[in-house]
Amino acid sequence: MKFLALIRLTLRELAAKATFIILAAISTIVLLGLAAAVGTTTTPDGTVLQVFGQQASPPMPEDQIAEAIRGMQAGLAGGLFTGIILFGIFATAGVIPDALEKGTVDLYLSKPIARWELLLGKYLGAVAAIFVNVLYFMAGAWIIFGIKCGVWDTRILLSTFTITYMFACLYAVVVFLAVLTRNTPVSIILVYLYLFVVGPVLQNRETVLFLISDNTIYRSFIDGLSYLFPQLDAMRTNGAKQLLAQEMDWKPFLQSFLSASAFFLGGAVLLKQRDF
Amino acid sequence: MIAISTSHLSKTYTAGFRGKRQIHALQDFSLDVESGQIFSLLGPNGAGKTTFIKILLSLTRKTGGSARLMDFPVSDHKARRHVGYLPENHRYPGYLTGEQVLHSFGTLSGISGATIRSRTTSMLELVGMKEWRNTKVKKYSKGMMQRLGLAQAMINEPDLLFLDEPTDGVDPVGRAEIRDLLKNLRTRGTTIFLNSHLLSEVELISDRVAILDRGRLLRVGTVDELTSSGERYHIGIEGTLPEAFRTEAAAKVLSFSEAKNGLTIDVESIAGLNAMIDMLRRHHVQIINIVKERSTLEESFLNLIRREVSA
Repeated sequence: MKFLALIRLTLRELAAKATFIILAAISTIVLLGLAAAVGTTTTPDGTVLQVFGQQASPPMPEDQIAEAIRGMQAGLAGGLFTGIILFGIFATAGVIPDALEKGTVDLYLSKPIARWELLLGKYLGAVAAIFVNVLYFMAGAWIIFGIKCGVWDTRILLSTFTITYMFACLYAVVVFLAVLTRNTPVSIILVYLYLFVVGPVLQNRETVLFLISDNTIYRSFIDGLSYLFPQLDAMRTNGAKQLLAQEMDWKPFLQSFLSASAFFLGGAVLLKQRDF
Repeated sequence: MIAISTSHLSKTYTAGFRGKRQIHALQDFSLDVESGQIFSLLGPNGAGKTTFIKILLSLTRKTGGSARLMDFPVSDHKARRHVGYLPENHRYPGYLTGEQVLHSFGTLSGISGATIRSRTTSMLELVGMKEWRNTKVKKYSKGMMQRLGLAQAMINEPDLLFLDEPTDGVDPVGRAEIRDLLKNLRTRGTTIFLNSHLLSEVELISDRVAILDRGRLLRVGTVDELTSSGERYHIGIEGTLPEAFRTEAAAKVLSFSEAKNGLTIDVESIAGLNAMIDMLRRHHVQIINIVKERSTLEESFLNLIRREVSA
């Protein structure tokens, strides 16, 4: 009940924010564009893929059309993931610092809830808000591809969970930073710094950081550091594989779960120590 | 039953470079508050009043001593199951209506949705906010926020209610209503722990009062105990004091000050009062009445704090 109340409060908080409304509006515009753009037409030689009424592929059998659609869906999911990372983090980063503000945190913590419960409730609320947004987009895309192209592939619906999971892993890092700094702009800057600078450098450590030294301890440290954070790139690659009906590697998902748990736990421990 | 019990409670904040400067917000603070009382905590700004409440609600960690709420250690969040709290400068989400605030924070208190729904109307009615129940909180005035805060603090029908400046921003009529409400809660057995700067109001409703300054407990007692001004009496007389009385009093080093329709004396014991009465009677002064003087809670508070500062 208490978790549900916290999740509901967080959903209301986010629904009241302009950034979240903009996110939903962008999703709607993209879906309308998609509905206007894609389509198929049947010719005696096979089915032709159309974009804005123009022929976009040679006549193909049904299974090849489905494969081409899956490719489009994978591209769409990748784009959505990037959008969610950019806008979703921006829209939800304030959830924890706002809850920890003087005058608000007193109200929460004077209730019979533990501090980690407050943190978890707020975390789940933000993740639930992103889930609703991703589901809205993915379900819309699924219906559009189904109606206009005749491809009713449920993998695109499953990717709602994959994208939300990836966001949830990253959001655990945001939660840690938010508890540490209690400042929304600083949390956003730090997480973007990780996403656009630290993350890519660690991702390409073999061609960047390993050139600095061949010392084993140094390289092990860099390796360890890269595994400390959620493996967003590897998860995104595997997310696309899911849509393309290819075999997925679950290791990055498991490793990211452990990393996210560690960050969340770190945030909970920090919060437990804090005086308000 | 003891609602709040603290023993040698202390809280030290560290500040400055590498935490070298220490601020003692509470020092060796021992206090028991019995159930069913209105207990008020008084002190100047920075005395440690809010720190004390925050330790009891586990918002701030103590650095020493022990504290229990309703027989639970304060660190146990179950202790807060039967507690209501109206913090100073509380902030409710502006996108919620008054009714939604009560529902959301009521659920966090661990009570069922059906119970909350049944209590919401009566609580809003009690604090005079029924007609604003569907208005968004961001449109509320300061006084309305206080009233809503009070309803929120009472939604779980707590056994122990912490109120930090409950009448802040509330008009005089509203203040009187809140006072009546608190008295009513006391009759139902609710313990009320009040933190207020409005000493005249505290005086009107409190059963017991504690005064603290710079983290130390100076005095605890009933309002009567705190406001009785030592051994000061006003002796009402008929007519004026004869000159011979003044001369004898001066010779015996008995100090008094003339007041309207009589005189005021400060004596060390009841014997001193009797000596003064004997002398007045010897000079044929007609005594009408003898009244032990009291000061207001505010005067007592200020005297105590001033003495503490000069000490």
